[in-house]
Amino acid sequence: MHTGYEAPAGGLVESVPEGVRVRAEADAELALSFAAGDDVLRQMYDRWSTLVHTLCLRSTGNADDAADLTQSVFLSAWRGRAGYDPAAGALSAWLVGITRRRIADYWAKRTKDRDATAALAGFDSERTAPAADAVTDTVLLADELSRLGDPQKRIMELAFFQDLSHAQIASVLDLPLGTVKSHIRRSLERLRNRLEVDGVLV
Amino acid sequence: MSSCDVETLALAALGESIPAETRAHITVCVRCQTTLDELTAVASRATAISDSDRPTPPPAFVWENIERAIAADKAERRGGGRPAGWFALAAAVGLIVGVGGTSVVLSQDSSPAVTVVAETTLDPLKEGQASGVARVEQTVNGSVLNVSVPDLPTPDGYYEVWMLAPDSSRMISIGVLGSGEMNVFPLPAGMQMAEFPVVDISVEKYDGDVTHSADSVVRGQLSI
Repeated sequence: MHTGYEAPAGGLVESVPEGVRVRAEADAELALSFAAGDDVLRQMYDRWSTLVHTLCLRSTGNADDAADLTQSVFLSAWRGRAGYDPAAGALSAWLVGITRRRIADYWAKRTKDRDATAALAGFDSERTAPAADAVTDTVLLADELSRLGDPQKRIMELAFFQDLSHAQIASVLDLPLGTVKSHIRRSLERLRNRLEVDGVLV
Repeated sequence: MSSCDVETLALAALGESIPAETRAHITVCVRCQTTLDELTAVASRATAISDSDRPTPPPAFVWENIERAIAADKAERRGGGRPAGWFALAAAVGLIVGVGGTSVVLSQDSSPAVTVVAETTLDPLKEGQASGVARVEQTVNGSVLNVSVPDLPTPDGYYEVWMLAPDSSRMISIGVLGSGEMNVFPLPAGMQMAEFPVVDISVEKYDGDVTHSADSVVRGQLSI
């Protein structure tokens, strides 16, 4: 299998990939606009609603509840926009924070209501909160992974999910060993940076 | 290895075996040890990604509900607020979560089971007046008329929503329009919508006369 991908010319290996830099700048601009009171909720929604919704879906296991929570997160963000301080952190991290609080509220209420619900509904009452921090981080990583271009995305999928070594990946994708190694390193660093900005545990 | 080689550390984080001399270096280099720990944590979390972690965009109605609620916020600020109207609106867009007894409202009105059956713009009958939109939506509880005319001025009297026959010879009163920008009215179950496809909003005086004042502000015909 040949992907048609050519290894970048020397010197690019150390640089931040263009797409990452452009996106970080766009995110920072969006954050400043939001803090300045501009009506940028739609842009924020376009940028982060999938992440917020996936977190909610993963944490509740219920499509209706995930939709309601997503709605409530963006409405909270809009109504609480005066409380966002760009100096205190990334807008994405602020949204993830709101999402986690909404999810925590959801489970707190659910736990409280469980006895009553169980008596009435007789089903679905066995759902309990997944370990919230771990869920947040895996969803964030899945989100960042989906944003990697190819061949980086393919390389990391083979490394994470097929447990292939870099030599095996190079062979499968018909890429130079050095290219695969540098992609692995940069992609892992990129994933780590994402967790540093928005994540919980790392 | 005398200097820190992050590429090799990345491979080690993924569980690949690395040369003994690199291993020896890591044990004496705090910087490499830290990097390895961080990358290993990332790799082990990433390995735990399952199908349910894959990015899933929300359904389209989520944004629509957010837009409506924000429009209602703005209307509230302008109008000074009428709690009853706000409550109905909040319930309609599924905002009332976790208040005892209202969870039924939530599951009915914000569920993806709502489908738009017919839609029309509501056009001003006089130039320069507000315009809006009306939708007939099918919910689990039957049909509702969802009316939104964001910029209606405060009337001398109140606004009433009607559905008219195309020639305006017959009409059904649907209800009083609240102060919020969005209003949801249940439609009578037996009503033949095709017979009354024209959505009309009139200004009514507090005169006790139940008939249409003939003073309409917006109107639109649903394509049914």
